[in-house]
Amino acid sequence: MRWATRAGVHIDRAACAWLLRRFIDPDATFVFVDDPAEVPAEATPFDMRGVELGHHGGDCSFETILRRYQLDDPVLWKLAELVHEADLDDERFDAPEARGLDVILRGLSMVCDDLRVLEVSGPLFNGLYEYYRRALLLGREPA
Amino acid sequence: MTETTVMPRGSVGLGSWVLLAYRLPREPSNPRVGVWRKLERLGVARLGDGLVALPADARTREQIDWLAEDVLEAGGVAMVWLATPGSATQERVIAETMRAARAAEYRAVTEQARHAAIGGDMERTRALRRLRGELRRIARRDFFPPAEREVARAAVDALAADAPVDLPAVVGEGS
Repeated sequence: MRWATRAGVHIDRAACAWLLRRFIDPDATFVFVDDPAEVPAEATPFDMRGVELGHHGGDCSFETILRRYQLDDPVLWKLAELVHEADLDDERFDAPEARGLDVILRGLSMVCDDLRVLEVSGPLFNGLYEYYRRALLLGREPA
Repeated sequence: MTETTVMPRGSVGLGSWVLLAYRLPREPSNPRVGVWRKLERLGVARLGDGLVALPADARTREQIDWLAEDVLEAGGVAMVWLATPGSATQERVIAETMRAARAAEYRAVTEQARHAAIGGDMERTRALRRLRGELRRIARRDFFPPAEREVARAAVDALAADAPVDLPAVVGEGS
């Protein structure tokens, strides 16, 4: 499937792309547009204004996608807290890691194009997923 | 990439601004309060009734875009514009208003830090953590940093356990 989002990806879009590819659509391809009107007809838009898979009711797009696809994996919801705070910074969750994540993604987007940001951030999100999976199993921070 | 001309923080000079023109229904009041809180957190300049502005960069444009979406979802109307002030004087007035608002916030932090500094270790540690968070929040909406910023930072850093108890005069203080 083809998925479309705004160019100049940052934390929410990078995390959504990882989520889509790993948990929803292994063959996902991505197209980046500057204007909502440029979204190709066959592509599903996400993290854009006025689309279903965007921000809704205080949720960031990553949370919206989890709800929409009924992904109730607690590890993903933990990651959602990080993405939410890195993106919205509204202190709904206690996620001190979010600040670092925000800086890392902002820095990446300064030196990489959008496809490369997804390539580089993919392993990062895989690592975060594994870290919080172990944390959840152990009931404490894994070494 | 969609980046517009980025106005370096602190500089004034006919930069690009992102404007949100919005109107929300009077009732229910919850969304109104929610939007108001978000605008406060973003540190917008209020240009008029239902018209706010921020210096445009990738982050502020996105923040304003999503806020517009919130307004629409709450049954209001919202439009986002990119604009340049008609004159440098006009821009300076807006920037000064924003700077003064942040200066007041930094002064409040300085005052709390100095108050905590004369307290016990526990109080200092608690205040240090809380005020560092507060400084981060203010810094994020501080587009035209006032001199008060450094004073506040120094006052908060002085609360750290290993900071010298007898502090030398803070550079820039009182100016």
